[in-house]
Amino acid sequence: MTDRVGIIGIGQSNFRSRRDDASYPDLVREAVVPAMLDAKLDFDAIDAVVYSLSPDAMVGIGNAERLGVDAVGGRNKRFLRINTGGATGVSSVTAAYYHIASGVCDVVLTAGADKVGECGDSQTVLNKIWDPTYERALPLGTINMLAMSAVRYMKRYGMTEEDMAYVTVKNRRQAALNPRAHLRKVVTIDDVMDSRIISWPIKLMDCCPQSTGGAAMVLASEQFIRDNKLDAVWITGVACRAETYWMGDRMGNNPTAEHADAYALGRSFAQSYRMAGITDPANQVHVAELYAPFSNTEYHAIDAAGLVAKPGDSIKRLRDGEFELGGRVPVNPSGGTLCTNAIAVTAMARVAETALQVWGRAGTHQVDGARVGIASGNGGDHQIFGTMVIEA
Amino acid sequence: MAYRVRPAVVGCAIRPAITERTRSLEEIIYDISQAALADAGLTIEDIDGIVVGCNDQFDGRAISVMMASGPTGGVDRDILSTPSSSEHAFILGALRVASGQFRTQLVVSWSPTEVSSMSEAQRLGADPYFHRALPLDELSSHALQASALSHVWPNAWIFAETVAAKNRRHAALAWPEPPARPRPGPARWPLTERLTTQPVTGAVAMVLAGEPFVRERAFENPAWLRGMGWATEAAFLGDRDLTTAPALKEAARQAYAEAGIADPTTAFDVVEITDATGYSELIAYDALGLASRAEIAPRMADGWFARGGRLPVNLSGGVIAFNPVFCTGMIRIAEIANQVRGRAGPHQSPGVRLGLAQAGSGFAMQYQSAIVLGADA
Amino acid sequence: MELLGRQEVWNITYDHALGETASYFFTQIRDNGKIFGRRCAKSNKVLVPPRAFSDETLLPTTEWVEVGPGGRVEAFTFVYEQFNNLPPPPYAFGYVLLDGADTALGGYFKGVDLTNPREAAEALAIGTRVVTKFAEQRKGDVLDFWFEVA
Repeated sequence: MTDRVGIIGIGQSNFRSRRDDASYPDLVREAVVPAMLDAKLDFDAIDAVVYSLSPDAMVGIGNAERLGVDAVGGRNKRFLRINTGGATGVSSVTAAYYHIASGVCDVVLTAGADKVGECGDSQTVLNKIWDPTYERALPLGTINMLAMSAVRYMKRYGMTEEDMAYVTVKNRRQAALNPRAHLRKVVTIDDVMDSRIISWPIKLMDCCPQSTGGAAMVLASEQFIRDNKLDAVWITGVACRAETYWMGDRMGNNPTAEHADAYALGRSFAQSYRMAGITDPANQVHVAELYAPFSNTEYHAIDAAGLVAKPGDSIKRLRDGEFELGGRVPVNPSGGTLCTNAIAVTAMARVAETALQVWGRAGTHQVDGARVGIASGNGGDHQIFGTMVIEA
Repeated sequence: MAYRVRPAVVGCAIRPAITERTRSLEEIIYDISQAALADAGLTIEDIDGIVVGCNDQFDGRAISVMMASGPTGGVDRDILSTPSSSEHAFILGALRVASGQFRTQLVVSWSPTEVSSMSEAQRLGADPYFHRALPLDELSSHALQASALSHVWPNAWIFAETVAAKNRRHAALAWPEPPARPRPGPARWPLTERLTTQPVTGAVAMVLAGEPFVRERAFENPAWLRGMGWATEAAFLGDRDLTTAPALKEAARQAYAEAGIADPTTAFDVVEITDATGYSELIAYDALGLASRAEIAPRMADGWFARGGRLPVNLSGGVIAFNPVFCTGMIRIAEIANQVRGRAGPHQSPGVRLGLAQAGSGFAMQYQSAIVLGADA
Repeated sequence: MELLGRQEVWNITYDHALGETASYFFTQIRDNGKIFGRRCAKSNKVLVPPRAFSDETLLPTTEWVEVGPGGRVEAFTFVYEQFNNLPPPPYAFGYVLLDGADTALGGYFKGVDLTNPREAAEALAIGTRVVTKFAEQRKGDVLDFWFEVA
């Protein structure tokens, strides 16, 4: 088969709160260089660039991708930018995939960075994602939006605040092994339960940090990979699905998408699995990097990925250790979005980490023998979802 | 590099000037999306994916794709967004169809004028490190480009004004009942008010389909994608030679190679250029290989680029006619698609077999794209 | 070496056209203290807040339906953290399914003791009956109304 799309290079920053030593384009460059070295290519070999950047306001520069042109070696090259909110990183890899799958390009670089820690207050910016007609006047932000999802998940499936804390404890323990992660301090259930309430039931330690850093990946066609005898892992499934923008429509009478769950994420995974020929994800998937910026959201992500028989089963199974390193299907062995969240590239990091896992290059947080991995990203008001299946 | 599956444009809807404030932005997007589907004779169930091109700062929303997902038909569907430009939404949509994994794509762009100052919104695009304190909005960037060109070609202003006048004559024919009276834009030396038009609200949508779907549904007169190229200039204006457009030359090279075009002056029946100002059109003639700087004067004297001439440019009236800033790029592509499909209306050129659309966006046309559409697959 | 920084503020004003549907909704609130939804004939759902078209069926909505003032809690949260340009905490807000509506409307919950969030969570448990209250002076925006436990 010579028409697959492979990943041949990966670069990521060591994510931090602030990087006073680096401008925004510097951060992009700092991920691009290792990705190119990893792919063993010169910039001449790049046919196109897909730039990963979510709300401009986070970075404080309108159409900030224009500034990133030189950082990605983009002068006189094909170049476009993607923004699907938090899903931007996986949507960018997806767009890069289609540059190659179309037959038009052989090698595509996708890269970006974020400086969320430099933006005065990310929740203020994120309040502006809601429409000015009806909901902007409400104090909506991504934290309280997902707190409401937690409240519904508690009612439907019996999740408790302590169940949420289990996710944080697991992911922090894993992030401690990942030199690129932002929050690497191991915490206990009590630490999480004692942390201050932000938007009930979400507490400080149930929340992702505001991270600064960049990520980059190089994709290539199978033909190019063979011709140049490169090492690669393969994108075998890719999909994207959106649900209604209106949160109130995910409640009430017979909603198609339920706000407690992640309906469109499930639909996106179903499509990715179909493409990849995966019929029994619970048994066929070895590792998962699922976008979950708040502890409670990891549960509905696991449900939607089909790693459990039915929604809500994820709660008990996480407590039983199924989803941690050493367990049946480690989820977020890198620490996940909960421990590192540079919004513009956080979903790309999920793809990058999954790729590293099936490549056997994840280092201290490697899942032994992983050959089939899945990655996901969420964007908007928990609305747009991108998924991928990556295999050795 | 051949497309796995050849895409074609099978539906278009263009609203280059929307003046009534009876519909909210969501409703405008709904209207244009429905109109494109209707033009294609399709329903949303026939659409496998959507790409939107919209700008957060113009829309007043931090992630503009979010509220667009409903009106474009994105609920329970695959939707992506390219805020870099409207033409990039077309390009990504075309790539997705070309992969063979999508039968169709709906691509949509809009440009509202709800922001109190477009100039203010655009100025946020200047980096805070070196340039934010300067009054650098898009108009200034076009003025800088005009000034650079005037320096090396002192008579450029004559030709820029002639181009603007040509496009206004075309607009009068294209829009016998114009949706809005184009109002002159501000002057900014060396640009006179005759060379720019005030921004208006606009929207555009197109339906793309792959060859198997086109054959299956027996579309009449699709506009086949024969070649597509796109590239970007450097980030800082100071790093660029503003008298030239190397990114456009590169985009044209890609598109012409794909389409097998040896001589662009004889291959095309009709061309659309993003004339942010008349100077932009002059620079594009050169970069597209339609007329080098030295050839512009004699060719314009021969009426090459006017209606009825050898290579009519901007029969739609171009941007001087209507300036829905963010979607001007996709509108050029839609106009050429309509010319090839025989659906351009009053400004239809007879017997169009091959057309070229150039889309430029950003400060002094930082992003450049060239799209070749034809009657034959 | 000395590292410099620069402060920048984004301050842009917008004048968004609300369109006929939202305008009707807000004028009814402002002038009559009533809340209306729009019905989609195909799905038969009454959408609140109202829209000109359903994003599920992509058909224009067809009729106005008065909803509320009673309803049930669908979701809530209590915010204890101060965020720039958002209200001073603590406050409770969430979504209510008004009687006659099929989708839930966002708004503040008032009159709930937020000292102990777990107790407050019981007071506002999903399904709790609430009633819509309207401000004396109304401007025609979502802050003209809020919800209180019935």
